Amino acid sequence: MSIPKFTYLAPKTLKEALIMRASHGSKSSIMAGGTDLLIKMGLRTLQPEFVIGLNSVPEIDYITLRPGGELAIGPMAKLSAVVEDAEVEKNFPALSEAASVTATVQIRNMGTLIGNICNASPSADNATPLMIYDTKVVIIRSDGERVVPIEEFFKGPGKSVLETGELVKEFLIPIPEKSTGSNYQKVSTRSKVDIAGICVSALLTLNNDGTVSKARIALGAVAPKPIRVVKAEKILTGKTPTKELFNDAAKIAREEASPISDMRASAEYRKAMVEVLTRRALDASLAAATKKKN
Amino acid sequence: MSAIKGKNNLIGASIPRIDSPAKVTGKALYAGDIILPGMLHGKILKSTKAHAKILNIDISRALALPGVKDVIVGKDTPCIKFGNWRLFPNTQDELPLAVDKVRYIGDEIAAVAAIDPDIAEEALSLIKVEYEELPAVFSIEDALAAGAPLIHDENKELKSNISLDRKIDVGDIESAFKTADYIREDTFVVHPHSHAYMEPCATLAETDSEGRVTIYTSTQTPYIVQCLLASTLGIPENHVRVMKPAVGGGFGGKMELRKWEFCAAFMSRRTGRPVRFVLSRQEELESGRRRHGMNLKSKVGFKKDGTLVAKDFEAYLNGGAYNSMGPTATFLCGNFGAMLYRYPIYHYRGYHVYTNLPPAGAMRGFGAPQAMFISESQMNMAAIDLGIDAIDLRIKNAMVTGDKIEGVTTISSAGFVESLEKVASETKWKEKKKNLPKNKGIGIGCYSFISGGVFNWFNTQYNFSACEVRAYDDGTAHLLTMSCDIGQGSDTVLRQILAADLGLAVNMIRLTAGDTAMTPKGDLGTWGSRVTLMNGNAILDASKKIKEQLAKMVSIKFNLNVIHDVAFGDGKVFAKANPKYGMTFGEAVTLWVKANRGEELIARGVYTPRDKGLTTPAYSFGAQVAEVDVDPDTGVVTVEKITTAHDCGTVINPLGVEGQLEGAIQMGIGYTLSEQFAMKNGKTLNTTFLDYKVPSAEDMPQIVSYKVDTYEKEGPFGAKEAGEGLAIPTAPAISDAVFQATGYRCKDLPITPEKILRSKGKI
Repeated sequence: MSIPKFTYLAPKTLKEALIMRASHGSKSSIMAGGTDLLIKMGLRTLQPEFVIGLNSVPEIDYITLRPGGELAIGPMAKLSAVVEDAEVEKNFPALSEAASVTATVQIRNMGTLIGNICNASPSADNATPLMIYDTKVVIIRSDGERVVPIEEFFKGPGKSVLETGELVKEFLIPIPEKSTGSNYQKVSTRSKVDIAGICVSALLTLNNDGTVSKARIALGAVAPKPIRVVKAEKILTGKTPTKELFNDAAKIAREEASPISDMRASAEYRKAMVEVLTRRALDASLAAATKKKN
Repeated sequence: MSAIKGKNNLIGASIPRIDSPAKVTGKALYAGDIILPGMLHGKILKSTKAHAKILNIDISRALALPGVKDVIVGKDTPCIKFGNWRLFPNTQDELPLAVDKVRYIGDEIAAVAAIDPDIAEEALSLIKVEYEELPAVFSIEDALAAGAPLIHDENKELKSNISLDRKIDVGDIESAFKTADYIREDTFVVHPHSHAYMEPCATLAETDSEGRVTIYTSTQTPYIVQCLLASTLGIPENHVRVMKPAVGGGFGGKMELRKWEFCAAFMSRRTGRPVRFVLSRQEELESGRRRHGMNLKSKVGFKKDGTLVAKDFEAYLNGGAYNSMGPTATFLCGNFGAMLYRYPIYHYRGYHVYTNLPPAGAMRGFGAPQAMFISESQMNMAAIDLGIDAIDLRIKNAMVTGDKIEGVTTISSAGFVESLEKVASETKWKEKKKNLPKNKGIGIGCYSFISGGVFNWFNTQYNFSACEVRAYDDGTAHLLTMSCDIGQGSDTVLRQILAADLGLAVNMIRLTAGDTAMTPKGDLGTWGSRVTLMNGNAILDASKKIKEQLAKMVSIKFNLNVIHDVAFGDGKVFAKANPKYGMTFGEAVTLWVKANRGEELIARGVYTPRDKGLTTPAYSFGAQVAEVDVDPDTGVVTVEKITTAHDCGTVINPLGVEGQLEGAIQMGIGYTLSEQFAMKNGKTLNTTFLDYKVPSAEDMPQIVSYKVDTYEKEGPFGAKEAGEGLAIPTAPAISDAVFQATGYRCKDLPITPEKILRSKGKI
């Protein structure tokens, strides 16, 4: 079916976009790359009368290091830009990897990182990497700003904390400490170009004595929203990494996952894969962290 | 034998596809691209019930919607049943639109024509259908259970949901098994598979002031569509003109009359305006034709030394709600069960079973991928039990040139043993198999396929294949044929064959293909890997007639001694022994036209296989080795390398054969590892390519192929098929490799990571 008629609004500033959003409310949708929105409009699961395109807002397509050691990513930064960015590759390899396996080249060239997150799919490739890096979501509204940690951003399939009068202004990702390693793992039926059947991201920061000072584990596509496995992170923290320790953490991750059985995979398979991928992500994170430390 | 190979440097030449520039630049016109003045857009309302009586259809609100120009239901049509098996009219079980009953989710009920597609879509939502639901059956077991609802209760000859069966009895099976030292019996389940052609079906129909219909349609078989469309409309065949524009793949899925073709033609006659239907990918995956899922049982006996003794094979085909091409698949499955090896005794029982699923139809291999998945898997399992290498066991029993299946077929050429030897040596099969690294596997699968069928189920009165060649005084020729290029490359190969024989450059041949009003009547189109052999032969028949006429002109002009032969090459016609006695092709045509007082030099060529048994005039053969890596923790299979050695007779166009092979491997990997319909109560859940997982370019392994040299005397320049057969060996080869890597033997396609892990007790 063709996309129904709509009015395209081209604000020149985010503020203007917010005013348009406020006046049209639920009759409007925000469009960045459009790779999710236009599909939904074609299927008529979403029928906005007004599409507020951010394409005409200058200077919001950025990936930049801020003084103070945070990477800022703007709302029009494309997935392909995330893949190609040297700072992302150096400091946030799990995000770099996840962005590189999101959908297809064509979609990565149009779709934005923030759009991928605002879509709030439980299987979004980029959600779990952003979670392990303690990403802050800066949300603006006409009367101010608020900052939400990314793990609180998701509410359920397709749902986030974003309210109608709000926009994501940017992501702020603190640069991890030096002796940090992180990794992204994904299993899907096709080797490439596929939606994640299950995905896991992990991060480990090591103390000088080799013990874990900080651990992060996040799971995608195995719960109504991407989740962090705090219980597993806790048992890692302060300990010297061993095979047994990682096995225990991976088992906890498996228990914390609450996947459903659907046409893509059974719940049992998904749970088993959470364990396998968590172990692999931790192994790879440890190897990277150790290399950086030495 | 190789004397005519390489004729005029065109046979065996890798000529790039003639249609590719237009296709890659987007200039090629597909049916869905064509727009005619005043054109209406059609949409079809489909059943949401798997099995139900239709109590009432209210179209009043749809008709009242501004912009809607026509709405039809079954009762508005002549209600004439159709089906490809005209030889047995009782198998023709489909109506253009359902009248009393729907039999699957997707069964077509009504059609709308409106001034734009969105209005048509909206009108569909305004049609109200009242159903009385009936119990539905989806599996073969349920369809055959006592008390199962009869899906075609209108056919009083059917006592169950078995719509058709097929028996083959060669020899006494019981006593044969008594002489066997080793017998194995296996039960396999194979799943349906989507054609996933790039171009969803589309049709545009227009009607002239005398009521004659022209349709532009995405089809493989214009003649079949012409005949069945005329019969369902109740008008003479000659009042229907079917034109095939560019077609984006068919794979067997576009070889029948389809409902939208009828509706477009019928509504264009009613409204006087052109009507176009373009299906969506969702519609195609939801209720489009598919390869048959089957339940298979095979018992096979060997002597201790590996000699085959007998085979008893049984196939139940899940046909879905209508026969479609199922009867042919039922027959061919039995024929292919007897292929590849010398089974002295062979029995087959095939049953085509109606269920309330979308109908299965013809798909690349047409019964063979299923039959050979079980038989090739059994060869691999038997080899282990007998302690004989899997390739040695095959060579011991392989069919060779001259072999016969009594009363069924003769193998006129076979390069099977050579194919097996080639893959064994090139892959270092035995050493590799002995020294497999952990999680790596190597496996083998083989195939044989037909070069067009002999069995005349369509009951055509005309030759199986036909063409017309016109020769012109400007040194060019025009080839008219109903054989359709649907992406397999026949427009290139057929021109190549004619150019080689007439001694012209390929670009001196104009081609008109797939237009029933222009091309010779009767060619059955593109399916069953028939085009190169059958239409190639028809072309050589016509070409020979043209050449005879032109040879006369040279002979007269140069007063040639009768013992001289006349040759055709480089655009010239000349005495073979003394080329200076010659002239250009155009000059020869000019002389002929003058000698015949202005007549045009035209020749018809035909081909019909006669006295070639019951199956096909020629068989291809081949062997394929797959090498895989299996992740032991995730169960994910990565196909690393596929090595193929195959025998397709003389290769007319190596580039074309390479394309067929690569496409076949891609399709085979999908069939084996990733593609699967997710069904729930008759409803297809995965209706996008996001969830119906066709392998992408990045999933392709390294591909190596070798051509075994054979010459098929029944084929043009010695050629036989290279289209469908190659789609067969990949599934058994990968399955065998996965077994070598993991110990998991798949008897239930597809192979999924989950099945592998479950077999290891890991989930």
